[in-house]
Amino acid sequence: MADISVDGDGFLVDPTVWTEEIASILAKEDGTGDLSDNHWKVINYIREYYTENSMAPMVRKLCKASGLKLKEIYELFPKGPAKGACKIAGLPKPDGCV
Amino acid sequence: MTINKQESKSIESFPLEVASQKEAEKSDLQSIKKGNLRTYSSQKDNAREFTSLIKKRSTRSIVSSMLGCVHCGLCASSCHYSQTHPNDPTMTPAYKADQIRRIFKRHMDFTGRLIPWWVHAKSIANDEDLNRLKNIVFGTCSACKRCTFNCPMGVDTAALIRFARGILTELGIVPEGVFAVSKDQWETGNQMAVSEEDFRETLEWMEEELQDELGTDKIHIPVDVKGCDLMYCINPREVKFDPRSIADAAKIFFLAGESWTLPSFGWDQTNFGLFSGDDQLGASVAKNVYEAAKKLSAKRIVISECGHGYRSTRWEGYNWANYEQELPTESIIHTLKRYIEDNKIVIDPSKNCDPITFHDSCNLVRSGDLIEEPRWLLQQVCTDFREMYPNRQDNYCCTGGSGLLSMVEYKPLRMASAKIKADQLKATGAKQVCTICHNCVDGLTDVIDHYKLDLKVVQMLELVSSALVV
Ligand code: SF4
Ligand code: SF4
Repeated sequence: MADISVDGDGFLVDPTVWTEEIASILAKEDGTGDLSDNHWKVINYIREYYTENSMAPMVRKLCKASGLKLKEIYELFPKGPAKGACKIAGLPKPDGCV
Repeated sequence: MTINKQESKSIESFPLEVASQKEAEKSDLQSIKKGNLRTYSSQKDNAREFTSLIKKRSTRSIVSSMLGCVHCGLCASSCHYSQTHPNDPTMTPAYKADQIRRIFKRHMDFTGRLIPWWVHAKSIANDEDLNRLKNIVFGTCSACKRCTFNCPMGVDTAALIRFARGILTELGIVPEGVFAVSKDQWETGNQMAVSEEDFRETLEWMEEELQDELGTDKIHIPVDVKGCDLMYCINPREVKFDPRSIADAAKIFFLAGESWTLPSFGWDQTNFGLFSGDDQLGASVAKNVYEAAKKLSAKRIVISECGHGYRSTRWEGYNWANYEQELPTESIIHTLKRYIEDNKIVIDPSKNCDPITFHDSCNLVRSGDLIEEPRWLLQQVCTDFREMYPNRQDNYCCTGGSGLLSMVEYKPLRMASAKIKADQLKATGAKQVCTICHNCVDGLTDVIDHYKLDLKVVQMLELVSSALVV
């Protein structure tokens, strides 16, 4: 595959095409930078949750599953859990005021 | 592999069919069954329905805005869309309103019925016409009301836009995002479909964090406590993605010795009905809040930082819901001001030394009368507050108002129109921009990212919390 199609907010147009490589590219693009083990813990959990529930998890669930503090999530993903972590994990943009 | 971002397409090219409507119809939703959430059907005579709804719903003030425009052109210089597209007449407020006005004139005004060509009256013929109208009223206006304030004839273009949006919503002819969020709010009572279990779990978590931070188990985040002085309502994104603002509020309530609670239902003070023009959704969401306060015998409703939520819950919701609301409703901004005035909390402004400017949210300054209070607060909590120009009722929209944040297809045009906001922000020389609206946080963040400005967005609770002397 040559191109990654994203919408105006940078979210994947088709969430099913997501790969780890795409995640790394999206992370570079939005200023998150290289992905560490902690990043991957968060990303993998978001994907798991999304596959089961078709929606983004609460940040509470993210912290619990990854063992990270809220503050650390914001340090890892400067754009925050929705516009940062969920985007890199290949989810469509969450509904509502984000 | 390279990233391929959605091209900036012509605003009128976005399709009629909404993919998520198809899915929703299949999944047997209550709100669709009850007729609350509307979906598009190509089998119906939508054009005819549209004109009949215009007739049915026109109020005195809508009619006066339909008839009052003298096409003087003044409003063109007040709209961020037309100011950034000076050679494009379709971006002017008068053009946008004319697309609704001419249908009204064709069917309801005697000149329009007798001599339609003379007064530019023209009916809509089919669904494609309606789709074009959808893209104009949802895609080219953030309902900021700046043109409304600058019209010498008192024409309320923003109200006409909302009026048309409401009728299109009734026909299910809406952008994808508008449908998705309306669905969540109809189905779950909140914009982000947060369950009660998740809501409570997040609050317990924040409570534990606060107990750790302050070293006391006396601090709580109470839910459904009866007879409190204050019932606090929030924006779903606070609990779903960023509960730091809930913790800040809880900490301040604790230090001020407040008697307060959140309700387990009716806690969402935001209201997508304001954006979609759906008064029924507006009524249902606002009523959830009013009824929660009644059930808990709260003495006052306090709304967290939110422009459209404050406008909806404090001002518009009573009418939508036809509700005899006796309880006072205020913004957390009023509450914070009272705490500082009464010395209930102590503040040290030297903890916020960056130059900070303030962004007035459209719904607060032009429809909410919340103007001087945040300025007074900023003077207390930081050392270098500087105004942005123009400001107060004259300020420009963050460009993300009226639900546009959820309509990504219109983002390229929105970002082009944001040049004005970017220039305004840059000229302040500030390092931080404070807003008292969650929606504006994201609108401003988009502007800052797009125009690569060196600015951080902050909210008032965050500033007050970091200036607290504990
Ligand atoms: S300023 Fe008022 S009267 Fe003049 S063109 Fe605009 S809407 Fe019409
Ligand atoms: S309400 Fe605001 S965005 Fe809409 S036409 Fe008027 S000035 Fe422009």
